[in-house]
Amino acid sequence: MNRSLVDKIINILLFIVLSLQFLIYYHNTQTSTQVLNQQNISVENFSSIIFNQSGLTKIGSKKLNKVNENQIFLEGKSYLENKEYKIYGEDIEIKLDEEVSSSQKPVQVINSMGTLNAKGFRNIDSENKIYFDGSVTFITND
Amino acid sequence: MIKHFLIISFILIKSTYAESYVRAGGSLIWDSKNQNYTASENVEFSNDKFIAYSDKMIAEYIEENNKEVFTKVELFDKVKIEFKDEIFLGDYAVYTRKDNIIKLVGNVTIQSPTRVLSGHELIADIDNNKRILNSANDESLVEALLDNNANN
Repeated sequence: MNRSLVDKIINILLFIVLSLQFLIYYHNTQTSTQVLNQQNISVENFSSIIFNQSGLTKIGSKKLNKVNENQIFLEGKSYLENKEYKIYGEDIEIKLDEEVSSSQKPVQVINSMGTLNAKGFRNIDSENKIYFDGSVTFITND
Repeated sequence: MIKHFLIISFILIKSTYAESYVRAGGSLIWDSKNQNYTASENVEFSNDKFIAYSDKMIAEYIEENNKEVFTKVELFDKVKIEFKDEIFLGDYAVYTRKDNIIKLVGNVTIQSPTRVLSGHELIADIDNNKRILNSANDESLVEALLDNNANN
């Protein structure tokens, strides 16, 4: 009787151990859904200089988020300055490979013609064109 | 007393230095390579000479003493130009800064307190205060005007 009880206990223990091993194996072989991207970098009170078609452009923001090798996002109040213009806005996205910067937030541009206020902009540097969509007011020095 | 002086000074300064501006309801494109600005939808252009309204505007500029200045302003569709007590209407207009001449083409009308004239083309010489209105069949209706010549 006692021997039978011991056998039963051993069987139960073996079953538990095997079950645990199976769980451990299943957990270790399960595919991870978490994407690790070590390229994501955030810097606060950031300023830097980039070289593009317009020459040297100074950029700065309250917070910079590097999305990937070719894309950065200037979060919060941000600016782009070069010899042709000064752009003051917020939440500006910059695609370095396409040489495009854009924002859907209100923007102020100062150039040698005057001061321009718009609801957003798209600056295509390779075309030397800046597009301002929506209502635009441009006070000129003319 | 000082308050009145400041108010009068402000009004005088403001009237002396009339604000120049471009307003657009749809979009504005700054093309720095071709040195122009293209504005669309409910466009309003103002300088120290006149105020113009149209559906589209292309303004060319040059750089002068490190400043950009407009040299030629083209206005397209439903053009209305307010110059002193006159109003010019037309389909298309072009203003050239170097000679201060506004040229309107297509369904042109000149409205002033004393008359309304219509034609195909208007050449308004701002500096010489002269208007030339042409009809569509090239018969020219010449008006050498206005206040300066009125007494002659």
